[in-house]
Amino acid sequence: MILDLHNHSVISDDSRAKVENYCQWITRRQIPLDGFVLSEHRQFDDVSDYRALEDEYGLLILKASEVETEYGHVLVFGVNADLRAAFPFDDVRLPLARVVEQSARCGAVAVPCHPGRPRVGMCAHFEKLGPVEGVTIIETLNGGSRGEENERAIEFAKRQGFQGVGGSDAHIVSHIGRCATRFEREIENMDQLIQALQEGDCEAISLG
Amino acid sequence: MSVDVKALKDEFVGHQFDEVEFVPDARAMAEFASACGETAPEFVDPSHDDFRAVPNYTTRYHGRRSLPKDFPVEIRTSFDAGKCVEVHGPIQPGDKLVARSHIHDIYEKTGRSGGMLFIVHRMAFSNQRDELVSIVDWRMVVRMDMDRRDGDSE
Repeated sequence: MILDLHNHSVISDDSRAKVENYCQWITRRQIPLDGFVLSEHRQFDDVSDYRALEDEYGLLILKASEVETEYGHVLVFGVNADLRAAFPFDDVRLPLARVVEQSARCGAVAVPCHPGRPRVGMCAHFEKLGPVEGVTIIETLNGGSRGEENERAIEFAKRQGFQGVGGSDAHIVSHIGRCATRFEREIENMDQLIQALQEGDCEAISLG
Repeated sequence: MSVDVKALKDEFVGHQFDEVEFVPDARAMAEFASACGETAPEFVDPSHDDFRAVPNYTTRYHGRRSLPKDFPVEIRTSFDAGKCVEVHGPIQPGDKLVARSHIHDIYEKTGRSGGMLFIVHRMAFSNQRDELVSIVDWRMVVRMDMDRRDGDSE
């Protein structure tokens, strides 16, 4: 099963992509995705209901968040009410340790994304700030990162023994499906995605 | 530069600080539409029965102020992060438009080039029947010092 774990819709301030248009693009272009995750910037979208689109297009559509820390941006899968009360998602200076710890406490998973990018990626801060307990997964393939930035992320993951995942980081429709994550098992909901991530049952892949 | 975003929001978001009237004329509307690459006659031909402004026409208007008086962020070095238009109704030549401005949102984000403060200036346009016809959100970006937390002393 292939899921694109990192995308943005019009709910994010810098995206112009409607979720239905993502579905249409995947279908018409026959992109081999079984679903995708919407990780809106500095917020969690608990309003939108994509079940009708899932049924119409045969795609799994899950919701996550992308928050901002002193180590750069971090995807959070499994956001729930407890986690939303644990820290302000719109704070751009969140401590990564807190995000990781609180995510684990609330049954979620925190994944530093585009770690190879300057300023907003974990690699740039790791030497100065050191390791963060609880980080086990990073995004090694990001569709919005440059080639050398993804190479840096892959090397970083190898050195630190991190699991790698992939996501397109699409902000416009035609960018979905550039990078994704292949799972050995079927995933039908966020709980199953979290379990698969925690068990390392996945690999980052490039589709573009 | 570092600012207390929460305090800034509490003080400035949602308060109208400007009101300006505009009367669009047919020629300017048609020229604007053509300049945008529009070819549909209802937007470029003033003699068309359904002639009206293109959806982004209201982005051409500016108020008397960009920001409220005493707004504490220096924006001389800011840059334009684009405009977003919501169309609520048609605008026709001779309409008397009233544009009211307020700060709709203030937020921070980080990117490859560092920290940024976004200021969303909203202009809401109503016509002579007090019908809302257009909303323009104009985002301005100011670079931020991300090494300091809100409220840190100088």
